[in-house]
Amino acid sequence: MVRNKTYNRRSILFVVVMIAIVIICLIGRLSYLMIFKSEYYAERAREIHERERPIKAPRGNIYDANGVKIAGNKPVSTISVIHNQITDPERVISELSMALGVSEETVRKRVEKVSSIERIKSNVDKETADFIRNLSLDGVMVDEDYKRYYPYETLASKVIGFTGSDNQGIIGLEVAYDKVLKGTNGTILTLTTARGVEIPNAAEDRIEPIPGNDLYTSIDINIQKYAEQAAKKVMEAKEAKSAKIIVMDPRNGEIYAMVNVPEFDLNNPYDLNYETSENLSDEKKNELLNNMWRNACISDTYEPGSTFKIVTATAALEEKVVKLTDTFSCPGFRIVEDRRIRCHKTTGHGTETFVEGIKNSCNPVFMDIGARVGPKNMYKYYERLGLFRKTGIDVPGEANSIMHKLKDIGAVELATMSFGQSFQISPVQLLTAASAVVNGGTIVTPHFGIEIRNSESNAVKKLEYETRENAISKETSDTMKMLLEAVVSDGSGIRAYLPGFRIGGKTATSEKLPRSSNKYISSFLGFAPADDPQVIAILLIDEPVGIYYGGTIAAPVISELFDNILPYLGIEAKYTEEEMEEYNIGEITVPNFVGKTKKEVNELKKVHEISYIYYLGEGEVVKEQFPLPGEKINKNSDLILYLE
Amino acid sequence: MALDRAERSAKLKKVHSYYDYSLLFLTLFLVCFGLVMIYSTSSYTAQTKNLAPTHFLEKQGIAAILGVVAMIFVSKIDYRIYIKKLPVIKIKLVTLLYIFCSFLQIYVLIFGDVINGKKRWIDLGPLGSFQPSELSKVGTILFVSYIITLAPRQLDKIKGFFRVAVYMAPLLGLIAKENLSTGIVIAGIMFVMCFVASKKKAYFFWVVGILVTAIVGFIIIEPYRIGRIDIWLNVETNENGFQILQGLYAIASGGIFGTGLGESMQKLGFIPESYNDMIFTILCEELGLFGAVAIILLFILLIWRLFIIAISAPDLFGGLISVGVLTHIAIQVILNIAVVTNSIPSTGIPLPFISYGGTSVAILLVEMGIVLSVSNQIKYER
Repeated sequence: MVRNKTYNRRSILFVVVMIAIVIICLIGRLSYLMIFKSEYYAERAREIHERERPIKAPRGNIYDANGVKIAGNKPVSTISVIHNQITDPERVISELSMALGVSEETVRKRVEKVSSIERIKSNVDKETADFIRNLSLDGVMVDEDYKRYYPYETLASKVIGFTGSDNQGIIGLEVAYDKVLKGTNGTILTLTTARGVEIPNAAEDRIEPIPGNDLYTSIDINIQKYAEQAAKKVMEAKEAKSAKIIVMDPRNGEIYAMVNVPEFDLNNPYDLNYETSENLSDEKKNELLNNMWRNACISDTYEPGSTFKIVTATAALEEKVVKLTDTFSCPGFRIVEDRRIRCHKTTGHGTETFVEGIKNSCNPVFMDIGARVGPKNMYKYYERLGLFRKTGIDVPGEANSIMHKLKDIGAVELATMSFGQSFQISPVQLLTAASAVVNGGTIVTPHFGIEIRNSESNAVKKLEYETRENAISKETSDTMKMLLEAVVSDGSGIRAYLPGFRIGGKTATSEKLPRSSNKYISSFLGFAPADDPQVIAILLIDEPVGIYYGGTIAAPVISELFDNILPYLGIEAKYTEEEMEEYNIGEITVPNFVGKTKKEVNELKKVHEISYIYYLGEGEVVKEQFPLPGEKINKNSDLILYLE
Repeated sequence: MALDRAERSAKLKKVHSYYDYSLLFLTLFLVCFGLVMIYSTSSYTAQTKNLAPTHFLEKQGIAAILGVVAMIFVSKIDYRIYIKKLPVIKIKLVTLLYIFCSFLQIYVLIFGDVINGKKRWIDLGPLGSFQPSELSKVGTILFVSYIITLAPRQLDKIKGFFRVAVYMAPLLGLIAKENLSTGIVIAGIMFVMCFVASKKKAYFFWVVGILVTAIVGFIIIEPYRIGRIDIWLNVETNENGFQILQGLYAIASGGIFGTGLGESMQKLGFIPESYNDMIFTILCEELGLFGAVAIILLFILLIWRLFIIAISAPDLFGGLISVGVLTHIAIQVILNIAVVTNSIPSTGIPLPFISYGGTSVAILLVEMGIVLSVSNQIKYER
């Protein structure tokens, strides 16, 4: 047997020492990594371990002028089941199917499915969710979430707008004030495995979400409702395509109401507000939805027609090229260069003063004064009245006007422009220009947003808007108010006349392009009180069927609207003597008719100046009456008598 | 009186058989610790594969128990039996083992099971699978010891080294063909054993010098020829460096005291099959620098015990066996830690006793058994 020799031992010692040296080097390397590089690599490791899960910040509410919530959040819940946590499946199935109104088979299928988590129903309202939570069933999860909710559904839909799935505004105020309303999402940082599965019980970092701020607007839901009803009524009566109303305070540009009927349901913005015959392609449906969402009051331009005579008259008065007493003659047309441009009254208005020309809305009069002003000066006033720029209204999608180039304006163009044709502006631009004309010459920025408050209702910011003063002189403004009041009290706008109130306005009937289509936009622009305008409104009826004169169909709608909203805005009716007389204003005490014959009733009617009596039933003797005897009623209220 | 004293002294000088219990318990401790680490690292992977969390622990545990039984059994057999001729077929056991290993290596190349895209396992049906290259390590240690003891003085010249190399060439070639990493480990074992056995060693330094120069030269001239070297140099940017980089994340996240046993993040799928060659990284992450150094110290202690046995062995054969086992463990520990710390280009070497692998742990235990048997032959007087 070979001995283990000394040199062998020495060699082994050498090998072991070498091994020890190498191992010590490796320990050094480990120490370097685990002490000096620890931060560096650990940080990078954390980056791949952590996952951010956002916590949705509640979106701010939108309020109307009275502090009524018009856009808010509704807590909704998602109910799900976790298969391996369920202890009593039968109870879970029966309770859930009962509470959620889902069939037992559906719930059973989900409950019995072996998966990590199975959703039973989402968008469950809070009460049901609370009820389910209180059952404290093992393996049933109730996850809370918020859903944007519009309590008034279709009200001012195209103004308020709605939000998308990521809580971002899609149209309207929801877009314009998205940054204000949105808030800041919070995050939960959780650790996950390489497969992205969250590790239970791992420490979580939580950054709390900051709720969005609330927006207080000038929209007044009551005025908006009146206006919507009025617009809808006239749209249906005239079988029109649509009707638009803007109601604004001409002094500061606060918009009380903006109506685009037909409106749509903000809680279901992806459902079309009319029936469609066939199945639509996605592209087609998108197009239709975009049209439905369009706020035509600001996004669509049109030829304003006669309402634009306000601007022409203002320019002429400012340039002092016309006096109220100047006389004109209207043979029913004017020959401009080689064209024969007609007046709406083909037989002509004959000789008339400037005041009568406005009252009659006589085209030749305006062609004459337009020619006196001249294109350059005309554009000076267009510019001053803001017709070349967007109004800056605080909702997205505003359209700008489409005008001739100054150098392209010949006599014909100038003549047509003078009565509101051959160019296009948006309704809100016209309203802003008219506001300046009647408010003493200040261009206001039409707007909805008044104030921003945080979720504790503390004011964060008053919203301020640009105004441009002295667009026109005070005198011209006063003259224009007087002229436009005359249009309503004694001119083409007579149907907007409202006893007790001083209303100014101008009618228009614009023929849509192409002219041969015989489609019209009937409109009326009115303001009240005429001496100190506090409210200005414009109505456009798009493609009415039958009678299409603005003075005939649009003016009464504004009159009715003003009748409703002026007292609401604190503008009381003040009747003149003639009005008292003419419109039978005053109160009477109702006499007792019961037991009287028809003949006796007629005598009483004369004595008490009662205007109308309706008889109900057959017979000669009054059995009952309404209102009851002794009550005070307006002279022109109706009396109802029941006969037997 | 004098006689009495002489008698007493003779009695005192009675020869005892030694048995290295420190080595035995170090080994058992490392195996148990390995099982803990395997449970910690593999339970997540097991669950993702829809297996019981203890699936890998159980498999490793069975292999470890079999290995411990085999170790104790082998340790009680005199190691010199391996170079005795068998009674009937007149072949020495060590030669038979060498032939058997070669056969298995050929078999696995042809009929082997493919796991993770590598053909290294022989399917044993219900008993699991067997990795013959692990057995070849024992075969190599015993066979090389035997060849050297036949003519130890020849190793003083390079010719003697080549003689050993020629004997080993067939097996070494087969192993290298199957798994280059194991081939390197086995070549290393052979080289160190020859080094230890020779009296004049100048030529070893020449061989090492030439090899190192060649490798370094190759790296300097064209490092991008070898993907692994590129990964090694640019571990953070090379996309194939993913696993090593994840290992570095794990090691560095551990810091000085670690995240605590079972608290590793990187084992949750970031390091695939972290219970295999990368287990040391999770050990670092969970137990920190202290834990890692403690384990390395345990290995140093183990190597020191093997060293004591190697120098105390009653004969050259026993000494060389001990050196072979010592080298086997040292090379694997060094290469494994060097790879996971990105100190050298990556190569797949398991950490002895700790990495998952039933064959590996069982064979290591058998090796320890053989060394214990060598220790058992050390006679000392008391």
